[in-house]
This record gives sequence, structure tokens and C-alpha cells, in this order.
Amino acid sequence: MRKQKKVCPITEAGIRFVDYKDDRFLSRFITENGKILPSRLSGVDARHQRQLAVAIKRARYLALLPYTKGHTA
Amino acid sequence: MTREYEAVYIFDSALEDTAITDKLTKHHALLKAAQAPTLDIWGRRQLAYKIGRHENGFYIVARFAAVPETLPEFERSLKLDDGVVRYLITLYEHELGAPALTEEQLAARARAAAEEDEDDEEE
Repeated sequence: MRKQKKVCPITEAGIRFVDYKDDRFLSRFITENGKILPSRLSGVDARHQRQLAVAIKRARYLALLPYTKGHTA
Repeated sequence: MTREYEAVYIFDSALEDTAITDKLTKHHALLKAAQAPTLDIWGRRQLAYKIGRHENGFYIVARFAAVPETLPEFERSLKLDDGVVRYLITLYEHELGAPALTEEQLAARARAAAEEDEDDEEE
């Protein structure tokens, strides 16, 4: 069986810069526990994965995203 | 030389709205910016995790052009302000680099990807 080709969901959405303030969008790329989802699972291309990692870390600092679950305010 | 910055502030949600805007204009005055910063006031929202005793924060996003040399003084006053729970200053980079892909470019890219798929099947 041929593996289905993944298309980068961020490129597909026409996003050039990943915005760290858009927590609803970023939350698509973290696991239930709050970890950053690896690109091999999400299909995000390398350039966007790098931007995404920085964006998620900024969003965590601003308490827009959790560092981990179980610390809800 | 001025650079474009974007700052996000989390103020103590117990403060009055007017007190917050007063504080903010006081801090922004230190930037000596030619133009007043453009503000995007999100208002009160719940924090994803507790910061000290705070469970809620008053979020404000500001965009401004400033000379880098004015930033240390600006950050110092933010740090000393008890009303500021957290802040983050970043370079506003969206204006840099090439513009976003146009509809046509996206369509061309989708076509190229589709052709590539067809090639794969022939193998």
C-alpha cells in the first residue's frame, strides 16, 4: 500500500508567518498533554515547523497555551 | 534607526480599565515614538495556567516603531510595575520578506503536486 502524501496544513491554509497570538490555531499542533506535535505526525513542512515551535513557546510564556496539562488556572 | 515591534502585556485583571490604560500610556511615553502605538485590547481572559495568584489577565497587544536604544528603559519600567503580570516584546516581522502567496501561486502549487502524484502511480 502506498503511503498517502501529506500536505502541510499550514501551507495549505495560506499562512506565511505562524502567529504566536492565535492560540486556537496553535492548539491544533500540540498533543493532549501540551507537547509540540512532531511534523512527522502533523505533516507540517520544515520551515513552518520551525516557526510553529517558536510560536508555541511564546504562546506558552504568555499563558495562552499550557506547558502541560493539570495546571489549569 | 527605528524598528517595528510588537508587545503583548498581561495586566492584573483586578485593575480598573482606566488604570491599565493610564499605566500603558506612561510606559509607552518612554519609547519616545513619533507615532502613538496601535493597540489591540483583548480584555480579560483566563490564563492557561496560574501565574502566582493570578488566574485571569487583561491582555493588550501593542505595535510600535521605536529606536532599539529606548527599549532597556522601557522594559525596566515594565518590570518594576506590579500591575504588569507578564510582557513579551518581539520584532514585528510580518512586514519583512516576500508577500504572502497569491491565489494563483497556491493553485499552481496544487497543480504541481497533483502532477507529481500521477507520476508516482506510473512507477
